[in-house]
Order: sequence, then C-alpha cells, then structure tokens
Amino acid sequence: MVIVKRKELSLAEKLYLPEVVRGLSVTFRKMFEKPITRQYPEEPLEKTEVTRGQPRLVVKEDDSIACVSCGLCEAACPAYAITIDGGETDRAIEREPKRFDIDMLRCILCGFCEEACPKDAIFMSDELELADYSREALIYNIEKLKRPQAALQQRIDYVKKINTRWQTPSST
Amino acid sequence: MVKIIVNGREVEADPKKPLIKACHDNGADVPMYCYHPGLEPVGSCRICQVEVKQGDAPARVMVACRTQPAEGMVVDTESPKAHATRKECLEFLLKNHPLDCPICDKAGECDLQDFTYAEGQDAGRTNEPRRELDKRKSLGDTIVLDQERCILCSRCVRFFEEVPKQAQLTVSDLGSRSVIATFMDRPLKGKYQGNIADLCPVGALTLKKFRFQARVWNLIKMASTCGECSRGCSTTVEVLRGADVKRMRPRENEAVNKFWMCDIGRFSFDRHNRSGRLQGAAVREGVQLVPYPVEEALTRLRDELMREKSGAWILSPWLTIEEGERIKAVAERLGHAVCFVSPAPNSEKDDLLHTGDPCPNRRGLSELGIPAAPVAQALEALRGVKSAVLIGERIVELLGAGELAKVDATKTRVHLVDEYALDIPCVLSVYGVANCVERTGTWVNIDGVRGPISAVKAPPVGARSPAKLIDELVRLMPKLEKAR
Repeated sequence: MVIVKRKELSLAEKLYLPEVVRGLSVTFRKMFEKPITRQYPEEPLEKTEVTRGQPRLVVKEDDSIACVSCGLCEAACPAYAITIDGGETDRAIEREPKRFDIDMLRCILCGFCEEACPKDAIFMSDELELADYSREALIYNIEKLKRPQAALQQRIDYVKKINTRWQTPSST
Repeated sequence: MVKIIVNGREVEADPKKPLIKACHDNGADVPMYCYHPGLEPVGSCRICQVEVKQGDAPARVMVACRTQPAEGMVVDTESPKAHATRKECLEFLLKNHPLDCPICDKAGECDLQDFTYAEGQDAGRTNEPRRELDKRKSLGDTIVLDQERCILCSRCVRFFEEVPKQAQLTVSDLGSRSVIATFMDRPLKGKYQGNIADLCPVGALTLKKFRFQARVWNLIKMASTCGECSRGCSTTVEVLRGADVKRMRPRENEAVNKFWMCDIGRFSFDRHNRSGRLQGAAVREGVQLVPYPVEEALTRLRDELMREKSGAWILSPWLTIEEGERIKAVAERLGHAVCFVSPAPNSEKDDLLHTGDPCPNRRGLSELGIPAAPVAQALEALRGVKSAVLIGERIVELLGAGELAKVDATKTRVHLVDEYALDIPCVLSVYGVANCVERTGTWVNIDGVRGPISAVKAPPVGARSPAKLIDELVRLMPKLEKAR
C-alpha cells in the first residue's frame, strides 16, 4: 500500500478566489498574443522539401515516365497499396507499366516507394488532401499519378542530396 | 566412393562426379554459373573455385566443377584465398554485364545477382563503357536473347548438344565480341527450347511467353505434375496474384524428367487461364440449361442414378487416383458400368520425354481396375445405357462435342462434370469442375511413379473437385453412406 502525502495548502490557496484570478490571468494574457492555431483550409500548410505527401510519378521533359515496372516499390510498400503490371515497350527501357495503381486509402505516406525506386520514377509530392465520394475513385491509376517534373523538383533535389550520403564516388 | 574433407567435415564423395557436387551435397554453398548438374561440366565461368589441398602439396585454388574428388582431398570452400579468387572472377563477369536488374525478368532468381549481393561488390572499378549488343534478339518463337546480359556460360549450347542431341546454338565471334548465336541466325527448332530459359543463370535467355509478365517474387509456386502426356514430368506451377498461371517449369526429379520438360507441357497453362468457366451447377429445364444450386442438382442426380440400373460412368484420364477410387466405389454400388476414355496416341512422341499418350493418369486408373475405353467404345457405352455421367476435365474435348450432340436424348440422359458448359441436347445437368491446377491429388505416370498435383489457385465460384462432388453425392445417398 502506498500512502500519498498531500501537500498542505497555504492560506491563499485555501481561500480559493486568488487562485481563480491567477488562472484567469493566464487566459487573458493569451487573448492578446498571436494565435498559434491555423485556420486550415483557408490558410494552407507550409510545405517544405521534407514534406512527405502522396507519392506521384514523375513525367520527364520528353513526356515519358521513368518507371520500368520493376516492382520494388510494390515489394517495399508496407501497406500493400501498390499494384503494378508490366508490359513490353519499344522504348529503350524495354518494359513499362501497363497498370500502376496506388490505393490512396491504403497509402500511409511512408516514402518507402521513393526510397526503393532504382529509376527515380516515384517521389513523394507535397499533395496531402484526399477526399472523394467513392473508394474506387481513390485508387489512383497511372494517369492520376503523373505529375510534371517541375512540380516535384524540390523533393527530387532533396532526395538526391540525402542519397549522396551513402554513395561512394565510383558507384554508378 | 572416396573419403574427402569438405570444410573440416569428413564426407563420402563419388569420384566420377565433380567435386562441386560433393560440396553441394554437404551443405557448402559454392556458386556456379556454367556448371549444371544435368550437363557436362566445362569450367568456363571459373566462379566455383575452392581451395584444395592434396597430400603434401601446398593448397591450390581449383575449379570445383572440373576437379574429381580423390581420396584424402581437403577442400575449403570458405578460405580467404577462395573467396578472393571468386570475387575477382565475379568482377570480370560483371565487367560487361548491364546494370538493368530493374528491367530484367530474372531479377529475384538470378544466380549472378544473388552472388553479387553475397560478395558485396556494389560498384565497378572500370571507367570504360560496357559493350553494346543486341538486347532483343529473337531466337525463334519461344526465346529472346539479350546479348548484353549473357555471361557466356554456354549452358544453353551444351543443353542442345547433350539433351535433345541436336546442336543448335554456339558461341560465335571472338574475345569480348563473343555472343551466343544460331547458325546463319536460323530460328531454334524442336520442342525442348524452353529449357534453356530455365538453364540460363542470368537473364539473357527469356521466354517470349513470360517476358515482362510478372516479377518472380510475386509468383506463388507449388509443386505439381504436368498433365500433357503420360510421362507426368514434375513441374512447378507459378501463379500471379491467385489468378493467372504465368509459368510452368520443370522440377528436378531423377526418376522421371531429371531437369527438363517439353514446350507442349510448359506452355499448356494457357488453357488454365481461359475465361468462361462453369460456375456451380446448371440443370436443363425445358430447352435451356438453368443455373441451379449444386445441392439440389445433386439431389435430382441421386434420385435418377439410384432409380436407374442401366448406367455408365465415363471418366476423363485427367482424374486422380483418389477421384477414380471414389467414382469406382459409387458406380459399383449403383451397379453401373465404369470406364475411362483413352484417346488415340498423338504424333508428339519423342525419345526424350513426351510419350505421345495424352492421358496423364492412365496407369493410375488402370491399376484401380477401371478399364480403358477408346473414344468410339466410350461413345458406344454411352449410347447403350439410359443414364450416364461424364466426369472430369476435358471429357467433352476427348469425346468430341459433335459426337455427343448426336447421342439420342430420348434414350440416354447424360450428366456432365466438366470445366465449360456446352449446350449439348442430351446433357441434362452440368457441374463445374476444378482443373488440375485447382485441386490436389495423385497421378501415376507410365513408369508407375506417383506425381502430386496441387491446388495453386482457387477454382471458379461453385466449381468443385470431382472428389468433393462425389463425396457430396454419396452424402445424399443414405444407404451408401452406411455401407462405406
């Protein structure tokens, strides 16, 4: 058994009213300070290079995507959100995705797909909002996932910068 | 048998077999590219080098696939010298190998990839460009060659020389320009071409049918048996996302097919991917077959079969021995005749594997005492009875839909257990059946070797394996249930 010794209250505390005034003074003081709450939809979030939003496929300058449907993001995905079916193409990369679906309801924005990608094809965008009227509409196909490179450039540069930490100078 | 020491452990080795086999048999993991247990060793890739000490001579590093075990040999597969030599070999093999694992179909089951990861060489030391060759060279209808990925192990060359005994491939050109080629770029011939894609230790030879179809780690693989002839080659059936069979590959079985299988069996999976399969049961009401709950359809079938003394059960040779046994027991108790359809041999027979007999379980069903009936005889038996059950996958295909349509519907009532529903006038009820990649059982091949078949994917909704269908029918027969 534990005996809890209660603190002896002072006279001011016993009187109760001074303590109420002390508490309210904190409230009144805060009323005149700059508020820290954000009026979210009207005031959007600040997005930096480390913002990890929904994954998107980079559309390069020649209108192609770099994905060769190797399936490493699919394998890395801890939420099983990605489904890829590959197929042959006449382009130099030989294989491209015929189907590339990300179930955005499953996606947990962990960024493993970005890390796994050997072709720099998938990056975490700064898009965070997600709402629709049906579940099916939130399974994003390849067309919905495409974003021009310019929109993702900040993140691409950041990822390349942090990746150099474990790259040896000679590695290709 | 001689006594040698492998990694400090005394083991017995066959002096006629290469040293690498003794190493593998005793748990030493020696990498190999050009060596294959089914082919003659040539020692061209040099990756299987191990340290060997014999007598008083100093230890030497030797290729394990071209060294015969000798009494008192001391082999160390993990010595620093052996590791260093293998690593140097690997670096040369990777000199011109393209870094396209993300595109390569072999990634995930590639010996070169596995060993490169194991040795931890993450970067090349050369700055020269890699050689550029043809990445999509077609070698006939089955195979595509990627010359850049090829490490010239010559397994494919030796396969054609040694197994079908028809040399078709060779290493042409010299030095760093060497490539695998056929004479005058002729397409490959014969029905054993698919094997070279399995043999290839890298992703240089790929099957056109499997190319870019799936990543290998997404495939669910199960041991099974090929059902295209009575040889019954051991296979692995590989299914993507529980839906489509993507690949069938030979599984090592010394008693039957060793390491090989023919292309007829290898590419037979197309039929397992067809749509339009029969789901559940359908019963003829008026002129049309109407979908029906299986239990009710079986109750009606039971009533008819128990009433009718003149009946026949005609089995497909694709039925397993377990299913054959059940059907025979039921037919005997009902006093019905039973036989299995035995189609005429086809022209595919060869000296290597294909027997030309399309019945995978002929011997199994014969051993159960079920007589074989050629197609004409089976149709005769069908016409001679009042009630007949045709059971098993491909049964309509074997008997011929045209022939079945000629059967007089007023004289014979036919019940069909097959994969597809065809509107044949004499058929009164149909039941969907699981095919040989959707159910488990045993086939007995022509030499009496038992081969398992496995349920790699689920059958269509409502379709059952013949064994389950018979069990449900028996459960509806009170008298038979007691007798069993």
